[in-house]
Amino acid sequence: MKISSSSAVMLAAMTLAAVPAFCADETQPSGSAWEFLRAKYYGDKPMGLVDENYMSLEVPANTPDPAATPLTLRFADDEQRRIKRVRVFADNNPAPLVATFDFAGTPVTEIDLHVRIDRFTSVRVVAEKADGGLEMRSAWVKASGGCSAPPSAAPGGTLGEIRLRPASDSKSVLVSIRHPNSSGFQIDPKTGDNIAPHYISHIRLNSGGAAVLEADTGISISENPTLRIASDKSLAMPLSVDAVDSVTQAHFTASTLP
Amino acid sequence: MLLRRLIAAALLGAVALGVRGQDAFDLTAPARGVYVHLGRPVALDAPGHDDIANIGFIVGERCVAVIDTGGSPRTGRRLRAAIREHTALPICYVINTHVHVDHLLGNTAFREDRPSFVGHSALPGAISRSRDFFLKEYAGDLDAPASEDQIIGPERLVEKELMLDLGHRPIRLHAWPEAHTDCDLTVYDERTATLWTGDLLFRQRLPALDGSIKGWLAVIDGLPRGARLAVPGHGEVTSDLAAALGSERAYLQSLLEGVRRELADGKSMQDAMAHVGTDEKSHWLLFDQVHARNVARAYEELQWE
Repeated sequence: MKISSSSAVMLAAMTLAAVPAFCADETQPSGSAWEFLRAKYYGDKPMGLVDENYMSLEVPANTPDPAATPLTLRFADDEQRRIKRVRVFADNNPAPLVATFDFAGTPVTEIDLHVRIDRFTSVRVVAEKADGGLEMRSAWVKASGGCSAPPSAAPGGTLGEIRLRPASDSKSVLVSIRHPNSSGFQIDPKTGDNIAPHYISHIRLNSGGAAVLEADTGISISENPTLRIASDKSLAMPLSVDAVDSVTQAHFTASTLP
Repeated sequence: MLLRRLIAAALLGAVALGVRGQDAFDLTAPARGVYVHLGRPVALDAPGHDDIANIGFIVGERCVAVIDTGGSPRTGRRLRAAIREHTALPICYVINTHVHVDHLLGNTAFREDRPSFVGHSALPGAISRSRDFFLKEYAGDLDAPASEDQIIGPERLVEKELMLDLGHRPIRLHAWPEAHTDCDLTVYDERTATLWTGDLLFRQRLPALDGSIKGWLAVIDGLPRGARLAVPGHGEVTSDLAAALGSERAYLQSLLEGVRRELADGKSMQDAMAHVGTDEKSHWLLFDQVHARNVARAYEELQWE
């Protein structure tokens, strides 16, 4: 039997909420959104397009879920070109600045995060090095509807519950936070009303009592925000995380046993 | 001479069957009073994507129950016309096994029959969450202009179990906990011991996870094993339900174990999408279109363990 290999869109039928869309009308990244963002965040500073060994951005070829598209950022552990700050942008999202990561002590070699993609867009990673230099990588993501996808039917768990999963070799940790991370563009299917934005605004990860990374996050992060950090070196225990709620300013915390 | 006549008779028979099949929407009757139209194993953006699910009906002495209606009003109308070639009895029930478009968008074709639309107690909620998505992404499959009133949900809900009688023909509806979706319903025809599994059972076509991986594996264990015949949501009708569920279980189990292993090894969702379950690929149709999403879904669930 011949198997049709035409596309991933078949998934749509199998999916309750938002799914890879059929909208192929938007084929090319629009440069103007990025020009605006670049000027806003970086002025007229020159920006290099670095080699993949130094920094890379991986996105799935077929986006499994536009409301939780996994992005993988990789960085070389390069003493000479130490990264101080990384911003992630989705040009065509209503809130294009997805996250800002400030690195401290431990060199971070990988970040994974799951993001909402509103419509076909370039996703960019811009690294700010210790010497002030800027480097960028970008990728084109074909997904849409991620910002307005309805929330899960049964969210499960308690808002603010955090799961910390260090890998068996201690070189990475997966942080999962129970939170609707409402984008402000979602409709409550029961009432038809708009759901107000309500998200995790900041995440701090500590390792062995010192900060590894601080992240400013927003409405472009998926429901139940998921963040994975990896390093070439073992992360010192205990690991702890502190996440801030945008509405209540409550701090949700968790840590591994000391 | 005799041989030639036999061959001719066989050919005639085949032609006659074929013609009847065509006239009646390629319906087969695997058991007395049970009629099934097999959906096509094509991707959702391929021609014929509004006819990918198995749909059909059961005929009692008093009336007819339709089980799933296809992925468009057009497919629903073809099913309705096929029903009328077999029986003039009224259509008293239209049952949906879950929320997905390929099983549901044909409902509107039966509106004029004034049936009772029946579904899982979670189905109305699932439809309201999906309505905008259906209207946007499946507008071309609905009758023009695409409108909300073409998406018909159930007014009779099944919390756990419901017996319906089609006239000396009891059918047992069972609502399951979250598995393939959060609103899976099975239909068991007691007279012929035929179980309509909805998408709790996929054959040939790769199972698509839109609910809970752990829940689905648990529900597989709970499905009644006494059925003589099973009509899956996709793929061929089978008289060996246990074997069919075994194949599906093997895939879901490899998904579960593979994602758990990736999580224990500290791997990302994208790593898991690249590594998990690839040895199952040769056993299924449309693997590349669905598998990565299944892995992502399982990862989202199992990261909380």
